[in-house]
Amino acid sequence: MGRRYTVGGPWVLRAVDLDLPAAALIRIEGTNGTGKSTLLRLIAGIDAPTEGGITGRPRTAYVPERFPAALPFTAAGYLAHLGRVHGLPGRTARQRAGRWLARFGAAAHADTPLAELSKGTSQKVAVAQALLAEPELLVLDEAWTGLDTAARAELDRAVRERVTAGGTVVFVDHDPARLAGQEDARYAVAGTGLHGVAGPPRAAPVLVDIIGTGPLPPQLPGAPKELTSTDGLRTLCVPADRSDDLLRALLAAEPPWHIRGVRGT
Amino acid sequence: MSPLVPLVRYQSALLLRSQRWLAPVLLYAALLGIGVQQGQPVLDSMGYAAAGLLPVAAWLVRICVTQEPEAARACAAATAGPARVHLASLLSAMGCAALLGVVGTAYVAAVSDPASGDHQVAVPLGAACAAGLIAAGVCALTGAAVGTLGSRPVLRARGWSLALTALAALLALVLAPSPARYAVFDLVTGSRTGAVHLALVPLGAALALAGTAAAGACALSARRR
Repeated sequence: MGRRYTVGGPWVLRAVDLDLPAAALIRIEGTNGTGKSTLLRLIAGIDAPTEGGITGRPRTAYVPERFPAALPFTAAGYLAHLGRVHGLPGRTARQRAGRWLARFGAAAHADTPLAELSKGTSQKVAVAQALLAEPELLVLDEAWTGLDTAARAELDRAVRERVTAGGTVVFVDHDPARLAGQEDARYAVAGTGLHGVAGPPRAAPVLVDIIGTGPLPPQLPGAPKELTSTDGLRTLCVPADRSDDLLRALLAAEPPWHIRGVRGT
Repeated sequence: MSPLVPLVRYQSALLLRSQRWLAPVLLYAALLGIGVQQGQPVLDSMGYAAAGLLPVAAWLVRICVTQEPEAARACAAATAGPARVHLASLLSAMGCAALLGVVGTAYVAAVSDPASGDHQVAVPLGAACAAGLIAAGVCALTGAAVGTLGSRPVLRARGWSLALTALAALLALVLAPSPARYAVFDLVTGSRTGAVHLALVPLGAALALAGTAAAGACALSARRR
C-alpha cells in the first residue's frame, strides 16, 4: 500500500507490504519524519491508503503520543463513552475504566475533568481507552511518552498481556530499550519503504516439560516448538524471555496444562 | 451492536457539555423572537421558522465535525472507523437541528393565528403543524448538507470554509434548485389562500441531498484529516 497526503504530492509511504500475525509484538523504527506515524495511522485504520488496501481488520485501538484532549468529560466519563464505542455494555465499560485507571495509578483522577488533568495523567487516560477494550490489534505511537516510570512499566506489562492473550501489538518508541528482545518482528521505515530488521540475538531457549494430551492451545506466546514427545510428557522449546508468558498461558488454558519442569538446553 | 449508537451518544454528549450549541440555538431563538409575532398567519410564520433553521443546521454540523480534538478523534476512529465517527457527528448535529425544528414549530403553532394571510380563511392547525414540521425537516437537511460540504474533511481551510458555508446557506434559501426554497415557498404561497401544501417532494430531495453529502464526506474522512 502507499500513502500521500495531497493529490500529486510526494509519497510518504510506497509499496509497503506488511503482515501482522496474531499473538505478536511488532516494533516499527525509523528516524523522525520518515513516516512512522503515518504507517501507524494506516495500520490503526485512522487513515486509508492512497493506493492498495488493508484486509482483515480486527478490533483495533490506538494510543497517540500526546493526548491533550480538551474534552468536556471526566476521565471516567470519557472512558465509559469510549468503552461503549468499543462495543462494551455500559456497566462493563465503567468497571473496566475504573480498573485500568487504578492499574496506572490514576484512580484518584477518575472524576477530574479531562481539561484539568496533567499531561502524564491525560496520557494514562489515552492508554486506558485503548486497553479497556482488550483489542485484537493495539497500535501505540510513542504511548510511553509522558508517563511516569511506574506507568511505563505497567504499560510494558499490559502490552505483554495483550500479546499473551493472542493480540497483535504494533509500537513505535524513541527508547531503543523499550520491550527490547521481546519483539517478534522489527521493521524500519526508510525512504518511502518498510524493511525488516534483524532483531538482537534472542535469549537462549528454555525447555518446558508439560503433561497433557490433545492439541496445544493455538497462538501460544513465544511460538514454542514442540520437541518429540514420549509417553505423555511433552517438551516445548521457547525463547527464555517469553517463558513466563508461555507458562501463564498454559496454566490459564482450559483445561490447564500440568507443568512438570522448566530447564535450560 | 453497531458502534454507531454509542458514537452518536458520545458526540451528542460532547456537543451538549461543550455548550458550543448555545450560539446557534440563541441565533435561532433570536430569529424566532424577531420574526414570529403573536397573531401572525400561521403558515407564513412556519415558513419563516423553517427558513431560519437552515443556517442554524449548517452551523451545528460545522460545530459537531470540528468539536473533537485531533488526538481524541484518532482514538475513536481507530475503534469505529473514521467514516462512522464522521457520520456520528453529522447525526448528532442533525438530531440537535431536528429538536430545534420541533420546538420552533410548536412555538409558531402556539402564538400564530390559524388563518390565511388576509386572516379570512381558517387554516387547520394540525395540517399547518405537519406542513411546518416537514418544511423544517427540509431546511434542516439542506442546511446539514451545506454544513457537511462546507467543513472538514471536504473544505479544510478555516476562513474559506466559513465564508463559503455562510454564502451557501444563504443561496440555499433563495436559489431555485434548492429543496429548502421550494418548501418555504410552498408554505408562504399557500398562506395567501389558506391552502396547506405538504412539501413531500422537497423532503425527498433534501434527504437525498443530505445523504449524498454525508456519504461523500464520510468516504473522504479516512483520506483527509
